[in-house]
Amino acid sequence: MATNDPTNNALRLTVLTVVIIGLFLALFSRLWFLQILAGDRYSLAAEENRVRTVVTEAPRGRILDAGGAELVGNRPALTISADRQQLLDGNGDPIDEDAARVLERLSQLLRLDQDEIVERLISRRYSTFRPIPIAIDVAPEIVYAVREQQELFPGVVAETLPVRTYAQGQMAAHLVGYLGEISETELEEEPFVGEYRPGEFIGRGGLEQVYEADLRGDAGDRRLEVNRSNRVVGVLQDRDPVPGGDLVTSLDLDLQQATEQILAEGIISSRQNTHTGSGRNLPSTGGSAVVLDPRDGSVLAMASFPSFDPREFVGGVSQRYWDEVTSRENEFPLLNRVIQSAHPPGSVFKTVTGATFMEAGRIGPQGTINCSPAYEVGGITFRNWNRGVDEGPMNLSTALMRSCDTYFYELAYDQWRVEQNQGDDVQEMLPIVAERFGFGRTLGIDLPSERAGVIPSRAWRQEYWLNARETYCRLAEELPPGYGRDVNADLCVSGGNWRGGDAINSAIGQGDVQTTPLQIAASYAAIANGGTLYQPQIGERVVGPDGTTLREIEPTVLDELGLDAAELGALQDGLRRVVMADRGTALGAFTRGTPFPLDRIPVAGKTGTAELKPLVPFAWFAAYAPADDPEMVVVVNVEQGGGGSQTAAPIARNIMEHYFGITDAEDAEFIEGDRILD
Amino acid sequence: MEIGYGQDRAERMQRERVASRWQEAYAPIKHLDPVLVLTALALAGVGLLAIYSAKVQTLSEQGLSSMFYVSRQLLGLVLGIVAMVVAAIVDYRHLRTYSAVGFVGSLVLLALVLTPLGTSAGGASRWIMVVGFQLQPSELAKIAVLIAIAAVLHERKGEPGLPTVAVCLVITAVPVGLVFLQPDLGTSIVFIWLCAVLFLVGGVQGRYLAGLGVVGLAAVVAIFRADVIKDYQFERLTSFLNASDPALAQGPAFQTRQSMIAIGSGQFGGKGLFEGTQTSLSYVPENHTDFIFTVIGEEFGFVGAVAVLGLFLVLIWRGLRIAIIAKDLFGTLLAAGVIAMLTLQVFVNVGMTIGIMPVTGIPLPFVSYGGTSLIVWFAIVGLLLNVHMRRF
Repeated sequence: MATNDPTNNALRLTVLTVVIIGLFLALFSRLWFLQILAGDRYSLAAEENRVRTVVTEAPRGRILDAGGAELVGNRPALTISADRQQLLDGNGDPIDEDAARVLERLSQLLRLDQDEIVERLISRRYSTFRPIPIAIDVAPEIVYAVREQQELFPGVVAETLPVRTYAQGQMAAHLVGYLGEISETELEEEPFVGEYRPGEFIGRGGLEQVYEADLRGDAGDRRLEVNRSNRVVGVLQDRDPVPGGDLVTSLDLDLQQATEQILAEGIISSRQNTHTGSGRNLPSTGGSAVVLDPRDGSVLAMASFPSFDPREFVGGVSQRYWDEVTSRENEFPLLNRVIQSAHPPGSVFKTVTGATFMEAGRIGPQGTINCSPAYEVGGITFRNWNRGVDEGPMNLSTALMRSCDTYFYELAYDQWRVEQNQGDDVQEMLPIVAERFGFGRTLGIDLPSERAGVIPSRAWRQEYWLNARETYCRLAEELPPGYGRDVNADLCVSGGNWRGGDAINSAIGQGDVQTTPLQIAASYAAIANGGTLYQPQIGERVVGPDGTTLREIEPTVLDELGLDAAELGALQDGLRRVVMADRGTALGAFTRGTPFPLDRIPVAGKTGTAELKPLVPFAWFAAYAPADDPEMVVVVNVEQGGGGSQTAAPIARNIMEHYFGITDAEDAEFIEGDRILD
Repeated sequence: MEIGYGQDRAERMQRERVASRWQEAYAPIKHLDPVLVLTALALAGVGLLAIYSAKVQTLSEQGLSSMFYVSRQLLGLVLGIVAMVVAAIVDYRHLRTYSAVGFVGSLVLLALVLTPLGTSAGGASRWIMVVGFQLQPSELAKIAVLIAIAAVLHERKGEPGLPTVAVCLVITAVPVGLVFLQPDLGTSIVFIWLCAVLFLVGGVQGRYLAGLGVVGLAAVVAIFRADVIKDYQFERLTSFLNASDPALAQGPAFQTRQSMIAIGSGQFGGKGLFEGTQTSLSYVPENHTDFIFTVIGEEFGFVGAVAVLGLFLVLIWRGLRIAIIAKDLFGTLLAAGVIAMLTLQVFVNVGMTIGIMPVTGIPLPFVSYGGTSLIVWFAIVGLLLNVHMRRF
C-alpha cells in the first residue's frame, strides 16, 4: 500500500462527496420547480403543442318568404386562397424570391394589384391551417390555371367556399341586408367578443344583421393531434358544425316583387306628370311602399326606391359600388326609406290629430266645425288647400274625406290655448296621443337603424331652439333686410316658444312633424284592426335544417289607441269615404281608367301632400282594405312626387290590385289621381 | 513447555485450518456488492422501458418492429454483464501493468474515428464499425484514461510532484484533443473533470490544484477569444439559457424547450407509461439516447425522476464506500474516478433535459440507448466490484 495519509484521503473524498451532493441538489430543485411549481404551465404547453384546432364553418341560415321560397341562400363559390405563411414573412414582405414570383403571377392572373393581395393576406388573421381567400367568385378558367400549374403557385389554393346567394336577385335588398367582414373593433365589443373569429363575415344591415345570432350557426371544430412536423397523427375531437337556422319571414315573395316593380314604375312614370305649383315635371326623386297585415303587424312587402344589388356585397363590396349606393347624387340607394327616412306626413297625419282633439275633449266624433277657406290667427292667415271655397260645417269623418285643413286649424288653436293656460303643468295632447299611434318613437321593427321621427312639443321646441339659436341670430344679422331677416330675428329672440301657428301646422302633419312611412302604416293598421298598435315584424320564425321550428317570433302589441267605438268609427268612416264617397279626395285615383272594384273590395285611405319648401311636395297615400274587414294596409310615399292623390294613390292602388288579384304587376297603369287634391 | 513434533504438526494443521477458513472467508467471490449490481440492473431496466416508450410510436409509423431498439439494447445489456464479470474476475491490480497498453489502444481507436473508417451522425463522427456494431471509442477511452492516471498517481513516492502531475496532464490532454476533433465537446469535458477529481483524491497538493484551476480558467477564456470553438458550438452551449423563447423554434433551444415542456407536464405523478404525448409525438428529438430522461420525467413524473436520480445516488454511495475501503490508493482512485464520471454524466445529461446545462452529446449511463455506453458502464461496475472484492 502506498504511503498515504488516511485522514487527508478521507478529507479529499469528503470534498468530492460535497460536490456530488451539491450537483444532485441542483437537479432535484430544478425538477421540483419544473414538475411541481410550474407543472401546470408546462402541461398546458404540452397540450397546446399537440393539438391544432381546425374550424369548420357552419353554413349560414337562409332567409325565406312566408311560403318557404328562398330570398337568400348559400352557394359554393370558386375561390382563390393562399397560405400566408408560405408567401409572406411577419412584415408582410415575400419570404423569398419564389414567393415574390408567386405573388406577381397571382396579381396578373386575378387582375388585382399586388399590394391589394398582400393587404388581404395580412389583414385577415386566420388560423394557419386555413388558407386566406384572396378572390371570391373567380372564373373557372382561373381555377384551372392554378390547379393545372400548381407548381407555379405553391401556397395558393383554388377552393370552393360557401357564399351568400340571392335567388331573387335585387329583390328585397333593403330587407335582407348583406354580409361584411367583422372589424377589429367589433371583435373586441359585445356581442362579438369571444364568439367571433377574425375574418368572419357578419350580417350588416337588414335581417342579416338583426337575426345574426339565429342565422350564424355554430362553427364546428376538429381538434387534431399533430406531431412536431405538424403532420396530423390523429383526430382527438370532431365536432360537426351546427348550421344556422333559416329565417322564415312574413314577406310574400310575389307581392314583394310586385310592390318593388309597381313602386319603381309608378315613380318613374310620375316624372312625366306636371307639378301644379311650378308647371314643371315632377322630380319624384325617390320613394317607398310598405304592405302590412293589420291583424298582427307582420310585413308582407316593403320596397324602397332607388335600390341596390346585394350581390355586389358578396365577398366584400368594392369602394366604387359603395360610393355609388351611398351618394346624394343617386339619392342614397342604400337607404331603406320605409324606416330610415322621416319627413312631414301632411294630411295622412290628420287621423292622429283628429283623435287627439277628441281625446282632449275639444270636439266629439260628430261635432262639427265650419270648413272655411282660411283660418286667421294673430295676423297670419292659414288657408285650406281648397282655396277659396267654403265647404260649410263638417264633422271629423267629412273633414277627413275632404281633408279640410281649417277644421284641424281651429281645433288645434283651441287646444293650444287650453294648453297655454295650463302653465308649467301643461299636458300636451298631441305627443301623448301620437305616441299611442306609434309616432315620435321607434317601433322596433326587426331591421336596424329605424328612425323615430319627431312629434314636436313645447320642450322639444325649446331644446331645438337652444341648439339652433346661434344660427338664427347669425342669419338675422347677415341676411339682407327683408322677410328672411325678420323671421330669423324673431326666431333668434323668441324661437323657443311653442306658438299657436306651430300647433296649427302640426295639426295637418306639417311644420316640425316628421314620420317614417312605417309609422304611418302601423298607425293605419291600428285604426284598421280596431285600435291595437302592433310592432311591425318581418321575421315569423326560425326553423332548423330539418324543418323543426327553433324559435317562434310572436306578434308584439305596442299600445292601444285608447279611442272609444264612436271615435274610432269616425276615423274609419272618414277614411272609407276618402276613397268611396263621391267627394272623397282619392276617389279619382281609384275610378279613373279601369275602375277598382270598390263595391267588392271597399277601400279606406287617406291622401297626403306634405310641403317641404323649397322642394316639390312629398306625396303620401295610406290605405287599408277591405275596409269592412281589413287584411292589408298599404302606405306609399313619393319624395317630391307632388300630390298624394296624384302620384302616391295610383301606386298604392296598383299594389292593392295585385294583392287582391285584380291585375298583375305587369299590367299596372299609373293614371294620375286629382292633381291638386290634398 | 516442551513442544513435540506431533503437537507442532497438529498446531500447524490447526493454523492451516484457520488460515484456510480465513482464506475462505476472505475469498473475493464472497465479497460481491449485490446492491451495486442490482442498482445498475434496475437502471438498465428503466432504460429499456423508456426506450420502448420513446420509440414505439415512431417505429410503428415506419413499419418496424416496436422491439427494434429494445432488442439491440438487450443484447448490449447481455454483453455488458459479460464485460462486468470479466472486469470483476481479473485482479484489478494487474491493470496497472497493462494501463499503458490500454491507453495507447484507446488512442488508436479514437484516432480511427477521425479517419474514413469512422461513421458520423449529426455532423460528428463518433463511431467505428466493428463486426456490425457501432463502437464508440470515447467511451472506452474514459476507462483507459482513468486507469492510466490512477496507475501513475499510485506509483509515485510521497506526494505527487510536478513531473507526476505533468504526466497525468498529458495523459488527459491527448484524448481530449482527439475527442474535441470529432467534435464532442461534452466528452472532452468528462476527461478534464476526471483528471481534476483524480488529482483531488490522489493527493495532489492544494497549490498545484489552485494553479491548475487558474490555468484552466485562462485556457477557457483563451479558447473563446481565439475562436477555436465554432459558432454553432458556442450557440449550442448557450442556447439553453433562453430556451423559453418560442421564437427559437429550431435547434438546441427547441430541443431544450420541448424537453422542459415534456418533463414539466409530467408534474408530480407523471402521465403514465406510454402516455407521454411529447414523447410519442416525437416533440423531443433523440429521446431514446441523449434525451431519455425526458421520457422518464414526462411519463413517471417527479416521483419517477427522483427515483431514477435516487438509483444513481445509490451507485455513487456504493462507489464512495468502495473508494474508502479499497485496499490501496489505486483502488481508491479507480472508485473515485468512476463516481466522478458517473456524477458528471448524470448531471450534464439530466441538466440538459431540464434546461440548466447546454445540449451536449453525453448519454445517461445505463439508461440511454447505446450498446457501447451500456457495455462500458457495466464493465465499470465490474471494476468497482473488483476493487470491493479484493479490499483485504
